[in-house]
Amino acid sequence: MRYRNATAYRFLTPYLLIFAIFWIWPIISSFLISFQATRTVPWRFAPTFNWGRLIGDPAFFNALKNTLLILVIQVPVMISLAIVMAVLLNSPLLKARGLYRFAFFAPVVVGEVAYSAVFRLMFSLDFGIVNKLLNSVGLPKIDWFSNVTPAMALIMIAVTWRWAGYNAIIILAGLQSIPDDVYEAATLDRVSKVKQFFHITLPLLKPVIVFCAVLSIIGTMQLFTEPFLITERGGPGGGTETLGLLLYRQGFRSLNFGYASAVAYTMAGLAIAITLVQLWLTREPK
Amino acid sequence: MAAVTLTNVVKRFGTFEVVHGANLDIADGEFVVFVGPSGCGKSTLLRMVAGLEDISGGEIAIGGKVVNDVEPADRGIAMVFQSYALYPHMTVEQNLSFGLRMNGNPKADTERRVKRAAEILCIDELMQRRPKQLSGGQRQRVAIGRAIVREPQVFLFDEPLSNLDAELRVQMRVEISRLHKELGVTMIYVTHDQTEAMTLADRIVVLKAGNVEQIGAPLDLYDDPTNRFVAGFIGSPKMNFIAAKVVETSNSAAVVELVNHGGARLRKPLCEAFPTVGTEVMLGVRPEHFFEAGEGDCDIPVKADVAEHLGSVSYVYADAGPEELIIEREARRQRASSDHFTVSIKAERSLLFDRTGARIR
Ligand SMILES: Nc1ncnc2c1ncn2[C@@H]1O[C@H](COP(=O)(O)OP(=O)(O)OP(=O)(O)O)[C@@H](O)[C@H]1O
Ligand SMILES: [Mg+2]
Repeated sequence: MRYRNATAYRFLTPYLLIFAIFWIWPIISSFLISFQATRTVPWRFAPTFNWGRLIGDPAFFNALKNTLLILVIQVPVMISLAIVMAVLLNSPLLKARGLYRFAFFAPVVVGEVAYSAVFRLMFSLDFGIVNKLLNSVGLPKIDWFSNVTPAMALIMIAVTWRWAGYNAIIILAGLQSIPDDVYEAATLDRVSKVKQFFHITLPLLKPVIVFCAVLSIIGTMQLFTEPFLITERGGPGGGTETLGLLLYRQGFRSLNFGYASAVAYTMAGLAIAITLVQLWLTREPK
Repeated sequence: MAAVTLTNVVKRFGTFEVVHGANLDIADGEFVVFVGPSGCGKSTLLRMVAGLEDISGGEIAIGGKVVNDVEPADRGIAMVFQSYALYPHMTVEQNLSFGLRMNGNPKADTERRVKRAAEILCIDELMQRRPKQLSGGQRQRVAIGRAIVREPQVFLFDEPLSNLDAELRVQMRVEISRLHKELGVTMIYVTHDQTEAMTLADRIVVLKAGNVEQIGAPLDLYDDPTNRFVAGFIGSPKMNFIAAKVVETSNSAAVVELVNHGGARLRKPLCEAFPTVGTEVMLGVRPEHFFEAGEGDCDIPVKADVAEHLGSVSYVYADAGPEELIIEREARRQRASSDHFTVSIKAERSLLFDRTGARIR
């Protein structure tokens, strides 16, 4: 280390120490713990104990299935919605753009518990506004919390509500970086607005959309708050239990840290794998 | 092929009027250049012809048909943008063919047109590259190619060369000229560079603050500008304007005194207007129209301040009282013995302007 840099590193030391103790160490430690049997004291080293259990555990596969199901439905729907919202926000016809931008971004700022509580109220069987609306257009009430399919749908709706605007703002930034004269050239080329969207806007937004998709995939892999608070710990009967919830249940309810660590590493590994596949599928030619 | 006619064309952004009633007849196959300082409304006028801006007043006709309410794509025009406006995610070939493909043009015809444009512009080798992988000059060619492919009746160029370096600019200028000969279509070209205007145009339209100042062939504008603005704008380096006062007038001439040059006098024959004695005027003399002492009609002594030697000629920035004059001189290899020298002005090589800038003939 050059002397010149030494002072800088001394200033950084407090941060680096905290980073090492509370970030690096837990990451290494949990990896080691995942190879230990932690149901009995003292913990003992048993490499296949947790990982072996994982492979045959129906609860794990249920959580994995739920997480992936939410992933493949909710992420594309949300990103599509975000693109539509961004295009509308970018329209020169829109008045009070700042207000809409704030409104779209607001859900991210709202506390998780508060928004979950509001969603439980809105979707409640007898008093919820959603069921009232369904009734008023002649549709039957839906019991959102006691059946698996509506409960899953509810989770997806909630997550989409919370994050679509956030993604729309990011996509809007991408939209604004496309120069106007490209569209003017297309207009002179007699390309309709719709074709311009599909042949110019979407391809040029691809990097931004991929970025949003990666963020969303990582977020959804760790999904916890909504199934914990809205559908009450993954209810009905584990029907909306996600990997994040399973981890919580194993680690903090059963205090089975070894198994929880194994689940945590599986989640991270899956997120990385899916992201890599996605980046590879959408890579720039050449 | 088509003529373009502008009748009292007005453009307002909100309540702010930027083009104040432009009138212009562009003949079929003519090369017309709009020139003027930044912000004078050149681009706006061109974009109105293209249909990218609404026309607030007046009429634009292309090929005899009023196009005020015609979609841009139906006007038979093609435009080359200053920033090229290529589709960044498409190869050169896709850039050229995009418009035709989107409109279901027969494949064979599209290929033929793309091939022809590529040949005209020598970009065959670049067809599979993306805009990012091209140099500025190559991008410019592709942008022009995209216009050619449309086989338009009128080409519109908005400062197409301003992002290129000086050498490439000259080269592309020649190519655009050649293209005009080859295709024989009407071209309207916007630039703020008077050299480009002079070299390319059949006719130049000089604009200033939304008004058409003068329309004419390049040399007509050079020889016979209608006002001080055009006189100053056309020609490089700029024309010198020397303060003068009318001291004598007859029915065929006026004698002016160059007030900052020790009472030097010049007799300027006139045929239209005869300013009264005492009127303050401006005498315009181009740098290249100063002669050796005694050769002209009026000698003035000057003192060289700075000289720019370009090889064949030198431009001397001379102090002459409170006025600075730019004088073109034959380049001399040996150092002049003194900074002081005398130049001479010829009456027929100078122009007279009144105080508002209008020409006195
Ligand atoms: N969309 C717009 N809204 C309001 N004013 C505008 C708009 N576009 C142009 N203007 C104004 O119109 C005037 C003419 O602009 P224009 O772009 O035609 O100038 P220009 O002659 O092309 O200049 P340059 O040589 O810098 O390109 C300017 O004063 C400009 O500020
Ligand atoms: Mg312009």
